[in-house]
Amino acid sequence: MSRISKNVILALFTLSSSAFLLFQLYYYKHYLSAKHGAGLSKSKGSRIGFDSIQWRAVKKFLMLTSSQNVPVFLIDPLILELINKNFEHVKNISYGSASKCKFFCVQRDFTTFALQYHLWKNEEGWFPVAENMGFQCLKTESKDPRLDGIDSLSGTEIPLHCVCKWATHAIHLVVLHGRSGNYLWHGRLRLKRHVDRKFVPFRKLQFGHYPGAFDRPELQQVIIDGLEVLIPKDPVHFLEEIPHSRFIECRYKEARAFFQQYLDDNTAEAMAFQKSAKELLQLAARTLNNLGVRFWLSSGTCLGWYRQCSIIPYSKDVDLGIFIQDYKYEIILAFQEAGLPLKHKFGKVEDSLELSFQGKDDVKLDIFFFYEETDYMWNGGTQAKTGKKFKYLFPKFTLCWTEFVDMKVRVPCETIEYIEANYGKSWKIPIKTWDWKNSPPNVQPNGIWPISEWDEVIQLY
Amino acid sequence: MDDWKPSPLIKPFGARKKRSWYLTWKYKLTNQRALRRFCQTGAVLFLLVTVIVNIKLILDTRRAISEAYEDPEPEQDYDEALGHLEPQQHRGTGPRRVLDVEVYSSRSKVYVAVDGTTVLEDEAREQGRGIHVIVLNQATGHVMAKRVFDTYSPHEDEAMVLFLNMVAPGRVLICTIKDEGSFHLKDTAKALLRSLGSQAGPTLGWRDTWAFVGRKGGPVLGEKHSKSPALSSWGDPVLLKTDVPLSSAEEAECHWADTELNRRRRRFCSKVEGYGSVCSCKDPTPIEFSPDPLPDNKVLDVPVAVIAANRPNYLYRMLRSLLSAQGVSPQMITVFIDGYYEEPMDVVALFGLRGIQHTPISIKNARVSQHYKASLTATFNLFPEAKFAVVLEEDLDIAVDFFSFLSQSIHLLEEDDSLYCISAWNDQGYEHTAEDPALLYRVETMPGLGWVLRKSLYKEELEPKWPTPEKLWDWDIWMRMPEQRRGRECIIPDVSRSYHFGIVGLNMNGYFHEAYFKKHKFNTVPGVQLRNVNSLKKDAYEVEIHRLLSEAEVLDHTKYPCEDSFVPDTEGHVYVAFIQMEKEDDFTTWTQLAKCLHIWDLDVRGNHKGLWRLFRKKNHFLVVGVPASPYSVKKPPSIIPIYLEPPPKEEGAPGAAEQT
Repeated sequence: MSRISKNVILALFTLSSSAFLLFQLYYYKHYLSAKHGAGLSKSKGSRIGFDSIQWRAVKKFLMLTSSQNVPVFLIDPLILELINKNFEHVKNISYGSASKCKFFCVQRDFTTFALQYHLWKNEEGWFPVAENMGFQCLKTESKDPRLDGIDSLSGTEIPLHCVCKWATHAIHLVVLHGRSGNYLWHGRLRLKRHVDRKFVPFRKLQFGHYPGAFDRPELQQVIIDGLEVLIPKDPVHFLEEIPHSRFIECRYKEARAFFQQYLDDNTAEAMAFQKSAKELLQLAARTLNNLGVRFWLSSGTCLGWYRQCSIIPYSKDVDLGIFIQDYKYEIILAFQEAGLPLKHKFGKVEDSLELSFQGKDDVKLDIFFFYEETDYMWNGGTQAKTGKKFKYLFPKFTLCWTEFVDMKVRVPCETIEYIEANYGKSWKIPIKTWDWKNSPPNVQPNGIWPISEWDEVIQLY
Repeated sequence: MDDWKPSPLIKPFGARKKRSWYLTWKYKLTNQRALRRFCQTGAVLFLLVTVIVNIKLILDTRRAISEAYEDPEPEQDYDEALGHLEPQQHRGTGPRRVLDVEVYSSRSKVYVAVDGTTVLEDEAREQGRGIHVIVLNQATGHVMAKRVFDTYSPHEDEAMVLFLNMVAPGRVLICTIKDEGSFHLKDTAKALLRSLGSQAGPTLGWRDTWAFVGRKGGPVLGEKHSKSPALSSWGDPVLLKTDVPLSSAEEAECHWADTELNRRRRRFCSKVEGYGSVCSCKDPTPIEFSPDPLPDNKVLDVPVAVIAANRPNYLYRMLRSLLSAQGVSPQMITVFIDGYYEEPMDVVALFGLRGIQHTPISIKNARVSQHYKASLTATFNLFPEAKFAVVLEEDLDIAVDFFSFLSQSIHLLEEDDSLYCISAWNDQGYEHTAEDPALLYRVETMPGLGWVLRKSLYKEELEPKWPTPEKLWDWDIWMRMPEQRRGRECIIPDVSRSYHFGIVGLNMNGYFHEAYFKKHKFNTVPGVQLRNVNSLKKDAYEVEIHRLLSEAEVLDHTKYPCEDSFVPDTEGHVYVAFIQMEKEDDFTTWTQLAKCLHIWDLDVRGNHKGLWRLFRKKNHFLVVGVPASPYSVKKPPSIIPIYLEPPPKEEGAPGAAEQT
């Protein structure tokens, strides 16, 4: 008896749970169609030719944009990669000579295009036309970050992303906005609460996980799979930019609060220093960019950016960080040619390298080279008099773009950890006396240079 | 997440098959112990799998819901947006179909409350005299317009008639008098009040109090009136309480074709009143103008900043003229509104332009100055590639060839760094002193009122030292100071490309406007080809002036220069007069001359090295200050420069001598 009932109960359980599982399966498919999107469209788009859904969606989209005179350009990493591999081939194709659909028919969920916002004429009228052509569009907007830096302005929202779906394929249009510092910015794609989350598999988007910054690309027209498209003239450069494009905004609100508490220094000297520091920073940025050397705002300059979105008037120098693996010996020469003579050089490439250049108006440019260990980064310091070495430790960090004094520059993405390592938890309070050997909480004595090496590792000019 | 993808697909399918085997074999194999054991273990395993899949699914959906590109901020925004919408919906579609309206009229105070919310309250001394008019939307009860007409003073009744005529039929009108509203209430206005159904309106007398609620073109919904018993006293305060039935939204709206433009129009017209035919149901005035494009437009990419305060009717007129100008590019226009005012923002939205509001941070002139700074900074932030910006104000009409004028002259700003700005406004260009739309001048003063600013000038010089809020400076006076201008000059046209129509303003009143702005000449000819633009460059201009002076006929200096006959009744001649000007800053005679010529005399404008250029009776008329001007060398030795005595000081200048 008990055995039978046990069996029956087990059978019942199994039955109900399989029913439940079936329901779940259905629900799962329905709810997270994103997961299955690829599998589904694969079966539909298996005809590799010009009748694939992807190709037709892209064609329709390009028809739409050219009829509305909206100069979109292709930024889809997947396709740009393919184009790049077959670049010679692509350049030789003339209109109509394409024989096989090679690029736009590749299996994917999205095709990503970009548009410079100021070239988008008749933005309002665009969407009804798109809908008439069979696209289902979703547009996200946000407030304009370019107004955030200015006291108390609020205005019309700007469009950030459009996702237009045609059948099972979706076109992602990233709206790029020009910003001071001659670069293009796109925002983060944020969905409002009422938006249908399974409209498209948003997580698979290539852009929009966070805001990004790009150099203004030059464009060229090519014919791909029988379609005329604009692509960046230098697809390699553009593709290289993508993984490091993350942008963080200065904390303007906090900066305003800071100035309410500590008041801005409006004296003529302060303004004169800020002006020459800005010019020095711009000159340094130009020089390093020409050499292709990555750098970021470090120490006091980074603190100024993070805390008050400006150059700290009493800081007296400009500080940059560079990874030692990016070091090039041409740096010194390039700076000298730019009118910045070397002031001192401490350490050597293998250990604690630090360069200091003399700018105009007594403003100094300090470049610290960062060394990477398994679980931290560090840069070195040297006391000229005694030959003592110091080590400044930082938690590991990556680099992000930001805008500072009308320039696109890098800063550590993990800024707060970086600054707290360097200045402690009380970095919010301005301190005018700072001893670089004792004040930073992350400083460690690191021995002493052997006297025999002094000539090499302590060079003062 | 991707790594577990196959599991829900494969395992359940496998399990399902297992289940069917189980069912078919169950009876056949009941006696086989081992098999039964096997089936049981299979079932238990299957159950376990179900549980795991279940948990995974729950976790996954949860994560998907909470993470899918969402963070708390936009939710908040969205909630806020909802909050904004709520009252509207409540009134529009809620069960209440009646508004209770209270209107109070007395000597020193008026107020109007709709459904318990005060929409007007004025008990300030020495202001707000006259008839206050409020227009409500008949479907929603929203206040669409609020005006006060000081009908104690002349001409205000005409403005009231104009306004009331513009109000669409069906709207709810509320009128109430504060202090006095009948002295200059003429027959036309009274007749209009009668046509609205008012009993007391047409018979309003000195210092009567009066409150009125009625539907335009429909029934009167309530009226109270109290006669003033004597000349020296006022009528008793009256308080009118009445119910206003709301009509359906359908009735309140026009049936325009459903286009994007009309959607904007509908949004606008359901919110505000007093913009005339733009909201007329039949044949509304267009809100898109598509003027001819300019061939070879050099200013297509130049951003246009419109600086505005809370004068939405001015802004409406201004934007109409701006959008009708040839070569305008609407997406380059940004309207900066000083303060969180809704109505100007509505006007901006009507034309589909970009509008930016600015929280006020300072007072009076300093506030205007801070608003300018924020607006200019924002303009160059929004258009980082722009090298210039056009700065306009909300009380300007823009000439049809405004952009054509700039397109032809803007290269000067690029090529000649002795230039400070290009302005569309000639301070001395009145109807009787300006003639030639193709002619340009160089002047040492900065006229403002529609001008082009170079980005480098702003970013490198002006922005860093812009007056801080605690300095109560006028931005334009500051910009004219020698420390800022540093000897640079502005290019202006002889005939202005902008027209200053603002009567109400920080530094403006009706008298001042009539005296100094009304008779200003304004170009209405499209596509004027400017003459010899490159002769405006620093050195070329000197050559040009010397040429002009050499061919100029010297006027008869024995005549009194204020006399009409001082300049002969000819046409097309060039005349020159020499006036006394001891030093560079000695403008005694010039000021007197300007006064009798009825041109700008409140400070010195329009001079170039002690030379003024204007037109008299269609002759080019040059005035040279001797001996301060370098052009004094052109004076024949026999001529004695004219000297005019300043009048003894009695009264100050009417109003502040400044234009904003």
